[in-house]
Amino acid sequence: MTKFALVGALASAVLFASAAAALDDEAARTARWNELAQDIFGAKQIQQGDAKIALEAPERAEDAALVPVTISVQNPKDVKSITLVIDDNPAPVAAHVTFGPAGDPQSLKLRVRINQYTYMHAIEETKDGALYETHRFVKASGGCSAPSGSYDAEALAEIGQMKLRFLGQPQEGQAREAQLLIRHPNFNGMQRDPATQGYTPARFLKTLDVTLNGEKVLHLDSDISLAADPAITFGVTTLAKGKLAIEAHDSDNAVFAHNFDLGTGGS
Amino acid sequence: MKAYTTHIACGLVAVAFAVFAGPVSAEVPEPQTYWMGPLHSEVPATLSGAEVIHAPGLDALLHGGQAVLVDAASVPHRPENLAPETIWKPVPHENIAGSIWIPGIGEGNIDKNIEAYFRDRLTALTGNDLDRPIVFYCHPHCWASWNAAKRAMGYGYRNVAWYPDGAEGWQDAGHPLVIAQPEGPPQAGH
Repeated sequence: MTKFALVGALASAVLFASAAAALDDEAARTARWNELAQDIFGAKQIQQGDAKIALEAPERAEDAALVPVTISVQNPKDVKSITLVIDDNPAPVAAHVTFGPAGDPQSLKLRVRINQYTYMHAIEETKDGALYETHRFVKASGGCSAPSGSYDAEALAEIGQMKLRFLGQPQEGQAREAQLLIRHPNFNGMQRDPATQGYTPARFLKTLDVTLNGEKVLHLDSDISLAADPAITFGVTTLAKGKLAIEAHDSDNAVFAHNFDLGTGGS
Repeated sequence: MKAYTTHIACGLVAVAFAVFAGPVSAEVPEPQTYWMGPLHSEVPATLSGAEVIHAPGLDALLHGGQAVLVDAASVPHRPENLAPETIWKPVPHENIAGSIWIPGIGEGNIDKNIEAYFRDRLTALTGNDLDRPIVFYCHPHCWASWNAAKRAMGYGYRNVAWYPDGAEGWQDAGHPLVIAQPEGPPQAGH
């Protein structure tokens, strides 16, 4: 140990400059984020946004293939879009959601896969183009190669089925939270098929559009980081009677569409 | 260079984490042969013929200086139909300092080229001494190291240990990890 300690002390002086620093170093995690921010947002400045946007997730996830995430914002009226980045997932951009006039960005809930211990970043883009981020560290691993539950032929036959329910009681003039569940394996292409030992080909939701009487609530772009049977909880601004229309596209170019009558409040 | 700082850090924190105990999953029985199911799923608490160790045991073995340390983790596989504009950026693989990392040695059906490489490497690293301790690990809930350890016993190695807590368990026990490069023939489909 003494010999190592001596060499180590000398070596550590130059380590700051070394790109080979392990990711358990906070500096390396920061460098990873800076690189990703550049890839995703270009040269745009991202401001520290703890007063604007909050990100909740379990500190240690029980099931890395099904990690619940809640993103909430302080000034929903200013928000144009929200991006969720799972820094150390191989495809780090988990979700990008833009909101329309019938949507309320106040609270957004998703379930994601996490491959290894990582920072997660939530980024708010305001209508005037400013970016604000918040982040948290999540301990979970293996979520990307975990098998997708019980996705046998029978379950696949139900692909695209949807359920919608509203949370809480309706209040005049208040936005309301809607929880949408879509039956879909969201195979990420990194899971093994036990029968063939090959990879189950990726098949995942690419986009989701929600409209209220033809007016945009939200548009979601996503790929392989969403958990199987994607669930999304979002705000709808009004309780006007009419139809909430859902249209989802997956990577096999399948289209799943469903209309929910708000009068009945559910599926 | 990184390896040296790792040694300092583990000396300092090993004492504080001496009571670390790994997760117990007594419900999963050992398969008769290799595990052919998904490599990431619940693992048994045991591996017949091998010693199951946790962080203090691994720490002791590493300080003994004789053990061969083998990381059996797979490399991330980019889905073919991911949109071209999707940012695909796997992080560098991290493992325990002093390991060799041979992806594919823990598959239920091992690739012949990988197996040949694996056997040769073990022969070289142990100096053809079947009594040299060899430790296998990958991640928590990862069968790759279980299969690889069983395979090594099949080659005649008598002192095989399995560290089921994986690189993450080592990190949780307060030890830093180092960035690693894979060796051996490429894993099929990668």
